[in-house]
Amino acid sequence: MSFEPKIIAFLCSWCSYTGADTAGIARIKSPANIRDIRVPCSGRVSPELIMRAFDQGADGVLVLGCHIGECHYDTGNHRAAKRIPVLHSLMQFSGLEPERMRLDWVSASEGERFARIATEFTETVRGLGPVAWRFSPEDRQIKAQSLQPIDNDFSMPVVDCAGKTDGIRAKAKELLASREVGCVIGYEVGPRGRTRPSFAYSPDEADKLVWNPDVSNNLVSYLPVKLKRTGKEPPKKVAVVVKPCDSKAVNVLLAENQFARDQVHVIGVTCDGVRDEKGSLQSRCQACTERTPFVYDSLIGEPVPAVTHGTQDKAAWLENLPPLEKIEFWLYQYDRCIRCYACRQACPMCNCPTCLYERDDSIWVGMGIGVNEKRTFHLGRAYHLSGRCIGCNECERACPMDIPISLLNQKLASEIHKSFNYRAGLTVVPSPIVTVLSGEYKEG
Amino acid sequence: MSKSNSETKYWLISQDELDTWLDGLAHAQALTLVAPREISGVVVYSPVENGGHISKVFTRPVLSVKGVFFPPTERLFTIHKTGQEIRLDESFPERETVVFGVRPCDARGVKLLDSLFLDTNPVDSFYLRRRENTTLIGMACDELGPTCFCTSVGGAPDNPQDMDIMLYKVKGKYLVETLTEKGRFLIPGGEWIETNINPKTALSAGQFQVPKKGKWPEHFNDTYWMKFSERCLSCRACAYVCPTCRCFAIRDERLSRGEFERIRCWDACAGENYRRVAGGHKPRAEKGDRLRNRFYCKFYYYPMEYGLGASSACTGCGRCIDVCPAGVDITEVFSDMEGSV
Amino acid sequence: MSDNPLLPHLGKLVEVRDMAAEIKFFRVELLNGGGKAFKSSQPGQFAFVSAFGLGEAPFGIANASERGPQIDFAIARLGTVTTGLHELGEGDIVGIRGPLGNWFPMKKFKGKNLVVLGGGIGGAPLRPVIQYVLDHRSDYGNLTILWAARRPDLLVFTEEYDEWRASPDTTLHLTVDSPDEKWNHNVGLITGLLERVSPQVDNTVTITCGPPIMIHFVTKMLQEKMGFAPKNNYVTLEARMHCGIGKCGRCNLGEKLICVDGPVFNMEEVGGLLETYL
Repeated sequence: MSFEPKIIAFLCSWCSYTGADTAGIARIKSPANIRDIRVPCSGRVSPELIMRAFDQGADGVLVLGCHIGECHYDTGNHRAAKRIPVLHSLMQFSGLEPERMRLDWVSASEGERFARIATEFTETVRGLGPVAWRFSPEDRQIKAQSLQPIDNDFSMPVVDCAGKTDGIRAKAKELLASREVGCVIGYEVGPRGRTRPSFAYSPDEADKLVWNPDVSNNLVSYLPVKLKRTGKEPPKKVAVVVKPCDSKAVNVLLAENQFARDQVHVIGVTCDGVRDEKGSLQSRCQACTERTPFVYDSLIGEPVPAVTHGTQDKAAWLENLPPLEKIEFWLYQYDRCIRCYACRQACPMCNCPTCLYERDDSIWVGMGIGVNEKRTFHLGRAYHLSGRCIGCNECERACPMDIPISLLNQKLASEIHKSFNYRAGLTVVPSPIVTVLSGEYKEG
Repeated sequence: MSKSNSETKYWLISQDELDTWLDGLAHAQALTLVAPREISGVVVYSPVENGGHISKVFTRPVLSVKGVFFPPTERLFTIHKTGQEIRLDESFPERETVVFGVRPCDARGVKLLDSLFLDTNPVDSFYLRRRENTTLIGMACDELGPTCFCTSVGGAPDNPQDMDIMLYKVKGKYLVETLTEKGRFLIPGGEWIETNINPKTALSAGQFQVPKKGKWPEHFNDTYWMKFSERCLSCRACAYVCPTCRCFAIRDERLSRGEFERIRCWDACAGENYRRVAGGHKPRAEKGDRLRNRFYCKFYYYPMEYGLGASSACTGCGRCIDVCPAGVDITEVFSDMEGSV
Repeated sequence: MSDNPLLPHLGKLVEVRDMAAEIKFFRVELLNGGGKAFKSSQPGQFAFVSAFGLGEAPFGIANASERGPQIDFAIARLGTVTTGLHELGEGDIVGIRGPLGNWFPMKKFKGKNLVVLGGGIGGAPLRPVIQYVLDHRSDYGNLTILWAARRPDLLVFTEEYDEWRASPDTTLHLTVDSPDEKWNHNVGLITGLLERVSPQVDNTVTITCGPPIMIHFVTKMLQEKMGFAPKNNYVTLEARMHCGIGKCGRCNLGEKLICVDGPVFNMEEVGGLLETYL
């Protein structure tokens, strides 16, 4: 029996669905493999829906909307035009053949065009064969063990820690003594000698704050909860110590109205890099060019101009693998994942009250800790962070299983940069994914 | 899990003899050998197909051995729906398994889970079968790791008591001790040299003073817990790597039209929605409540509910300290509590 | 029958009807001999009801086992599983696991007066207590029932009130927070009603079930204002449960598991626990 691909087609009511009807009325043949899903607008087709279609066994997904400029809702198809190519690059990076997803534009009168696209797409997918996307537990023993991202060893630069420690303590004492803030979130050294987040509520407690080569945590992740209004009293203002990467998180959260600018006093610290457990410069610092925070109320350390490190693009070697090897690489990583959600909890941008992938009703992903479910979670989370991830790499550092999860985020960040010339967190501007094509942020 | 100490036997074997034995077990069709294996730079207990896969250098695998008996996801039964008819189908794990390289803290963890899943009614049918079909071959640790504290909770790096077979490194060779019938069954007949060298287990006192069970209740309402948990991210990594954390969730998932499976998976009390009841009320809404619950469960609730006597449900493996991204440290709780009035 | 304690018995829905706003009454007949376990179920125990394909959830058994081989449930539509159950009709199959948990010590209550306070859907696990007392009427003293809900259309088991009132030495008091035009009983919270009814404290035991906040204020009033000894105030508590058999650890209230050490507690026990149920 020859292979008949299952194609899911999202068709918008106003144009492409009617276009499909037009084709039918004019007796123009379209393949029976196409299963239509009628949506009000192509902008409604959220990437989670497309990922869900592949998770549930679709061999190909087609999204057809109105031509740009002809959308019934003005700018709905702008969203599709921006979001779906971003998802496409993510899926391709994960090992899905790029030809299995297609976004195109069909108007209500273009019956022939609809039939042509539908036939073309079906034939392309037929040629690719059944999709290798879902894996059963028996496929656990995946062969390729040697596929690992290559790490460079950079030695740590010399850092003036004592001076910065004094500066942070002085600032914290000043803010707490004057009661300008109720709490200063900084770093301290714990009883075991490990550097970790610290919360100082009085000038005395400010004496435990430090700056050293191990200040890795992104303290901005504590802000949304600390600044959320829970009772009659507005929450007290908070000060937070940030590195240049962390400061970008402040901008992203401000752009998303997670808190107001006057609720936080940002103590920016110039940074020469942070150490990993082996004692060398962390890989995110190797790629980082900024030395001075992007937003701050006080600056500790002299402003330093941006520099460049020579560094290998970690994702490049992965891009060049054939699709099946890409899938195998990622399945190895997801197989090791225990779905503890440490990556999500460590991320300042992940602050949904109930994560889409942790819902009780399992509508986006099942509860099981299996390879398919874990992949759905990671791809979905990476997509949700596109245009928002600031590259602090805390997700990867938090992972108990050492999964190089930030490869996904890096890939999307470079896609967004390529397509929209945008990098998250440099200023208080929302991600280009949520704006219309002209760049303005439109409500609705 | 019968232990007949009357006939504990010892053998002294070389590295080659050990490798041959393990390779044989790895290739045996009738069983699965699970051993520490390095996968992408991380050592985990994983099935191995030949002896060469076994990692020679490891302190302790990132995940404990509890996943062999209580896997992250377990299918309880499948549901077939046709019209109004429902049919339920069960299948149970039957595969023989041998786990090599088990550290004493992990074996202690299995014993502690036994008191929950086996020694308290009703008996868990999945855990029971996996436990009956599995033999534990332990490997004594050379020394305590930087975050280990098994000696503070009544354990030791070379404690054999929860194993079926125990290996000790002795002068470039391995001393093999069998402790149970199950263990003896695996020893290759005739080739190995018996010995009467006894392992000298020097049980030292631990560096941390773990507060006794009776001390915990009086500190329940201290504001300490809210302060201590401020840096906690509610991420659940600690519970998942812990050898004794056993909370799970049950849900039905769709397999295909008319076919469903009821599964149980690991869960942890760290999540905000873990205890949300119908109507939306959330007991333990504060992070401090949840972190406190985890410590109290480990040192007070679990021991009381499942009859552990004076011992806690903590094996001192130290994994929680290693994986916490925010620097929460259980041994700090001990010092703080012991130091307080 | 399998040894798997997580495998449910199959039961057929022999009656499904609307009882109140978003609350339905279900009567289940167990199949394949599964009813044997429930023959001796006691008032206060609960069972897990499965909407196959969605999941299962714990519900109080809403009838006394002596009143028939079938099991009754009153289920409010609040989430995934309950919505799935509400979509089922007579003849459909559900899964039942139970009876689980401990029970009200009805034998210990013999010769005593009983005050039963039910708030909203919390009335469901109290119905078997009322039925048991009515069926063994001479074994118990006065039975005072206080039944409350937010609105009249949220009261449960209204069709049985006459049967309760008709029993000797039994009084039924109703109250709602927000009445409609037809309401001609008390208006206000159950604590107000309790104060008005002012049951005697001597030789009396109280049983309360409802939302945590109601349990809190009712038991506070019973002990602080009226002088009841905590050990004579019984409650049945709820918690999110998954296994119901003491394994999954979710339902712990301090050092006790609500599924095996409860759900029935007296307030002396609850007061001694580290955690509060609020």
